[in-house]
Amino acid sequence: MSEDGAAMGTGAAPPVELGGLATDRSASLWHDAWDRLIANKLAVAGMVVIGVLLLAAIFGPAISPYDFLVQDLESRNQAPSATHWLGTDDLGRDVFSRVLYGARTATIVALSTTLVALAIGVALGSLAGYAGGRTDSFVSWLIDMTMSVPSLLLAVVVSISLKAPVANWMESMYLTTKNTVFRQTFWADFVLVFGALALIQWPSYARLIRGQVLTLRNTNYVLAARSLGVPTSRVLSRYVIPNALGPVIVAVSAGLGAAMVLESAFSFLGIGVRPPIPSWGNMISDGLRVWHLYPHLLAAPAAILGIVTVAFGFLGDGLNDALNPRQWK
Amino acid sequence: MDTLLDVRNLETRFRVRKGYVYAVNDVSFQLQRREVLGVVGESGCGKSVTMLSLLRLLPPAARIEKGQALFEGQDLLQMRARDLRHVRGAQIAMVFQDPLTSLNPVVRIGVQMAEPLIYHRGLSMTAALARCAELLSLVGVADGQSRLRDYPHQLSGGMRQRVMIAMAMGCQPKVLIADEPTTALDVTIQAQIVALVKELRDQVQAAIIWITHDLSVIAGLADRVIVMYAGQVVEEAPVDDLYDDPRHPYTVKLLGALPSAGEARKRRLTSIPGSPPDLVAPPQFCSFFPRCEHAIEQCRNENPVLEPVPGVTTEGVHHRIACWVDIRDRQASPAPDGEDRHS
Repeated sequence: MSEDGAAMGTGAAPPVELGGLATDRSASLWHDAWDRLIANKLAVAGMVVIGVLLLAAIFGPAISPYDFLVQDLESRNQAPSATHWLGTDDLGRDVFSRVLYGARTATIVALSTTLVALAIGVALGSLAGYAGGRTDSFVSWLIDMTMSVPSLLLAVVVSISLKAPVANWMESMYLTTKNTVFRQTFWADFVLVFGALALIQWPSYARLIRGQVLTLRNTNYVLAARSLGVPTSRVLSRYVIPNALGPVIVAVSAGLGAAMVLESAFSFLGIGVRPPIPSWGNMISDGLRVWHLYPHLLAAPAAILGIVTVAFGFLGDGLNDALNPRQWK
Repeated sequence: MDTLLDVRNLETRFRVRKGYVYAVNDVSFQLQRREVLGVVGESGCGKSVTMLSLLRLLPPAARIEKGQALFEGQDLLQMRARDLRHVRGAQIAMVFQDPLTSLNPVVRIGVQMAEPLIYHRGLSMTAALARCAELLSLVGVADGQSRLRDYPHQLSGGMRQRVMIAMAMGCQPKVLIADEPTTALDVTIQAQIVALVKELRDQVQAAIIWITHDLSVIAGLADRVIVMYAGQVVEEAPVDDLYDDPRHPYTVKLLGALPSAGEARKRRLTSIPGSPPDLVAPPQFCSFFPRCEHAIEQCRNENPVLEPVPGVTTEGVHHRIACWVDIRDRQASPAPDGEDRHS
């Protein structure tokens, strides 16, 4: 009578070859997920690329062979060589150093917008999921409305309508206080880009988290756990959060990649990070004008952007498989 | 008699967009120590909501309006939440309908089973896991030790329900509430689960409340049965009494709809015409009267209460019905044959 499991179950279930069960308690899911992730070659490749990107973002400007701003009008538009690995641009600036700095731009923008979007998304999404009723209706309406506006259009509108007033305000602040902080329009640019990107990205996080909270709150296993007297804190830590976190981690990984692409798109269109600060987007934009003469000026930033985007995609897929035990084979 | 659980006048409502759904209306019943109580009724008649009310596991839209649920003299409905948590699982445990979704998919069976043992019994993880392996072999899961490492999706439905039962029995509760535990399983596994619960009842000496909409499942299991309809108890009787001598028109119809093994093929199964009432209004008349062929004027004006059928007791256990009509008087006049009514 105990045969039904073997007969009906996932007959080919392989033995799970993992360490002692008693020792890897709450970490077991993460431990297993890590093992699965490591076993996925594409995900590992993605992680390596992202690791290099992060190192470049942190240390790049310090180790780059040239200053990304220094112009050398004697040696303009040079092809890649031993002195300039990726050549030089139309002002004689070293492309490799600029691409390195672009990694910092992309990383700062992606990390901060994702952080802001996630914070808004978690707050509003879980509020909607828990409170339900009118709060839920309102938040859902807000999500739908934001999502219904084409994202680039939304960003353009926000960016353009805020840029002039902010610039004016900063100028007037400078005139009244004489504090040079207000001359740093560079930061204003960044903040506007973050803001516009976060505005585009928060609804998808909010919707995801609302859905997670709603479903998990009503799952049978949460009910079963409560019926057996498992205290609320443990229901949250062992039942709700681990089940909600997987999809959120996957979404964040994909969202980081998307934020980098969006930042480049903005900069390409001239509403994002503006020259002379290098961003892969504005480098592509510059390179595009002379691509038939100096293809390396377009190829270098475009290739890097492509590689990084694909890397985030691979990592996202790998995480998705690793964090979902139902997909384990 | 030794009453373990005494539910009195329980009323539970759900708030909906327009008003309330009166899901449980004035339900009272008792559960004796080591008794198996069957709770029968069709879907939506308030069986599960009644049981969830006892442990206050209702969804947020539901509220217990009144009533008492005395468990060993303490009212579960008034108890502080933290005290109630020590009753859940340790004193009263539940097994749910759908074993496929009742286990947390991201936690291994062993760790999950160990949870209540650690919490209620204060065992260490290692000790709890050892106990879980024993429990698994007790409920007939082969190779329990290695099964502890499995995730729920690696087990079949039948095995998962065994795990749920093992989990519920882990702290040796005094009451096990089984909420249609076999509904999601196929018939052979159903029979195994019923046999398992019988075995456990003898070993652990727990009282069991077995909820089902399938009368045949509890025939050989329950000591006493209550029949629910539209959120109310309409009949309560010792199991043999109920099958041999049903008194409420609804129960009569329900049993009529049941195929029996010894019976000749020629009889068509009867069905009960109509459908159960919407519970959006509080009951002011007998909720079965629109479907009842014995209905009299009083049925449409007054809601009957559960009262003992005069003269019928088995070992001091009353047979009670909530009905204005004594169908005994009526059976002389031939009841219209259920045949072809629905075709």
